[in-house]
Amino acid sequence: MRPVSLAELRDAVRDTDGTLLVMGAGTAEGWAGAPDPTDHVLETTGLTGVIAYNPADMTVAVRAGTPLTTLQQELADAGQRICLDPARTEATIGGLVATADSGPLRHAYGGPRDLLIGVTVVLADGTVARSGGHVIKNVAGYDLGKLLCGSFGTLGVIAEVVLRAHPLPPASRTVSILCDAAEAVTHTGLVLEARLEPAALEWCDGELLALYEGVESSVERRATATPGGTTLSVADAEAAWRRVTAVSDRDLVVRCGTRPSQLAVVAKHATSMTSSAAVGVHTLGVTDVDGLRAEFPQVTVLRSPPGIQAWGEPHAAVPLMRAVKQRFDPDGRLGPGRYRPWF
Amino acid sequence: MSLTDLRDELTARLGRDGLVTDPAHLRTYECDALTGYRVVPALVALPRDAAEVAAAVAACAKHRVPFVARGAGTGLSGGALPVADGVVISLQRLRRVVEVDPVDRRATVEPGVTNLDISRAAAKYGLYYSPDPSSQQVCTIGGNVAENSGGAHCLKYGFTVNHILAVDVVLPDGTATRLGGDAPHQAGFDLLGAFVGTEGTLGIVTSVVVRLLHTPATVRTLVANFDSTKEAGDAVTAVIAAGIVPAAIEMMDNLAIQAVNAAVDAGFDPDTAAALIVELDGPADEVEARFADLTRLCAKATGVTIARDAEHRAKIWQGRKAAFAAVGRLSPNYFVQDGVVPRTRLGEALTRIAEMGDEAGIQVANVFHAGDGNLHPLVLYSEERGEHERAEALSTAIAELCVELGGSLSGEHGIGTDKACSMPRMFSADDLDTMRRLRAAFDPEGLCNPGKVFPTPRLCGERPGPYRPHPLEAAGVIERL
Repeated sequence: MRPVSLAELRDAVRDTDGTLLVMGAGTAEGWAGAPDPTDHVLETTGLTGVIAYNPADMTVAVRAGTPLTTLQQELADAGQRICLDPARTEATIGGLVATADSGPLRHAYGGPRDLLIGVTVVLADGTVARSGGHVIKNVAGYDLGKLLCGSFGTLGVIAEVVLRAHPLPPASRTVSILCDAAEAVTHTGLVLEARLEPAALEWCDGELLALYEGVESSVERRATATPGGTTLSVADAEAAWRRVTAVSDRDLVVRCGTRPSQLAVVAKHATSMTSSAAVGVHTLGVTDVDGLRAEFPQVTVLRSPPGIQAWGEPHAAVPLMRAVKQRFDPDGRLGPGRYRPWF
Repeated sequence: MSLTDLRDELTARLGRDGLVTDPAHLRTYECDALTGYRVVPALVALPRDAAEVAAAVAACAKHRVPFVARGAGTGLSGGALPVADGVVISLQRLRRVVEVDPVDRRATVEPGVTNLDISRAAAKYGLYYSPDPSSQQVCTIGGNVAENSGGAHCLKYGFTVNHILAVDVVLPDGTATRLGGDAPHQAGFDLLGAFVGTEGTLGIVTSVVVRLLHTPATVRTLVANFDSTKEAGDAVTAVIAAGIVPAAIEMMDNLAIQAVNAAVDAGFDPDTAAALIVELDGPADEVEARFADLTRLCAKATGVTIARDAEHRAKIWQGRKAAFAAVGRLSPNYFVQDGVVPRTRLGEALTRIAEMGDEAGIQVANVFHAGDGNLHPLVLYSEERGEHERAEALSTAIAELCVELGGSLSGEHGIGTDKACSMPRMFSADDLDTMRRLRAAFDPEGLCNPGKVFPTPRLCGERPGPYRPHPLEAAGVIERL
């Protein structure tokens, strides 16, 4: 099924029986546990395009099947962007929300949950529900958008999202500090204490990258002022950031959240790793997921070969996740197999 | 449900000084800062730690008695309004700063710690806790989590939800759990994000891990005067459209300035129609370049004052943050509204509010977070002159106007008791039912802060307000299926 409007999507969910797999661009199909075969596959790639964009308000409402790159091009014409830079650039906006995916800009801007200000979702019984709205500050009602972040298509079908946009920076610089994982923690502290305000601070396989964004004179000065750093040429910077995204191409890739100071301990488990060093969010290639999970419980398996169990021991909040799933999708229609063995 | 049995059980568990039963003393808990709603609770529990909170909640659950968590009672939407024949669980004794970790830039605190005390505890490391509600000297972090509190500096740095890493929660059945973790990446649904801002309806927080930020390298603040609130609003739009993300942009109209000047010597021009406080922070050269743009964009200002030093800046902010209290000098009673409009519709909203005030014969002062469109109209009235109902109607109409303009009923104060009956103006029955599914997952018995956020027949009458199409729906931007 490939609906092209909210009404068609609602009908597709409401007027069919059986299990449903929600699929965007398919770039994260195996994440969080391979889905079981379902009665239907619901593709969201027909739900595309901007619904409302007023640059002066710096908010944009977009259909969930819109690829991030398409949206970014549209916003760039108005000098704006969504501060979300996942490795999967071809992914859809809805897919990025459902997977809670993000990239190095999480250092300054957080992830989808921090940029999402409104959502429209179709529940397993065909109910269409909205929460949030079109303004950046809003505490009216529960924030269902955040609940859907990391739901991997198991709670509802994300139909539309409203996002906060930011201005495109006039200039940027990338600085490289060659250091091992343990030194990265020290260097991270130095950059932060120097109040250099990087937009990203990412350690990737022996190199700490500081991204500065802002006015030309300031980014140049901050780049030069970075302790132990070398400013990269445009080409070298692009290559460095490509190495960051390339970590996600490994056969078995996980994302893990820890205290930032644990970076070097996490790195011991990695065949290749990129970390938002001040945030404590690591994306790494591993050979032994269980070994990592034994030390750090907050692990999500992204890409994996068959036979890898996506989730470890249920953590304290898993009973609540089950209770939420029960209320939103009591018959288990959506994404069966995801979150196994928790669901 | 047996209150006598519950009282005996709570006394056994918390001790005599862990429970308030005396009617006169109970009365001090009858309302929060929205004083128009008052309900005396049957009991107040004063637990000393997380285990006692869990025991109090478990006892309430066992006896099926509703309970309401309470921090400092500074909430402006009646979110901590007690339930008659229910229990208030005060978190005032849980006020330890458990840990400040300068290496991982975070603090672990109990819910009764005040917002400002977190920054005070972090200051020696050059760190601070960013969200800064105007009540930050007294409001508690537990209350901030419940309300997803904002503040003047949230425009650049985000709201409470963007600064919480984890919370320990006692769920409405008395079990304890943890939401969130050591980093923003969570294995599972973002239950932490879903929990923050639910106004105490999903559980009671017993410990909070907050992110700490380094204080910015440079801060520059200006006050710009304008001939009208519309011109000031246009300047806000121009600043945002120029790609500047200030740390804060606040607006005060003449009435608010008069009130502030009478209370604090902050040096605001008493004759100006409107003043903007704009603050930039960050690396020095970045701030200087943007500050030059900013002064250019305030070309229509009739006067611009630049804060000389930290002391002068503190004075300006002291004046701004004292505004609500200061308005008490202008009027014996007032309602504060908290609606949000898209930033480009600020001027229109202010004009409409002034017209509505004139029609009702009631003065409205405005002091608000202009950068994110979060209005705080202060509806001034006198109980003695019998203006209460007229003022309340105007106040509700203003909140609903914000929805009509494509915005929201509340930017930071919460829905609580105050605006629950207006929720159908903003959300459909299906929207609200879906939110209730989340509530039911956490609190199937409906014992945790009942009667808040969602409209109820008891509060709003048997019939909710008539359905009117949302303006975005009328404009074809959203569909109602």
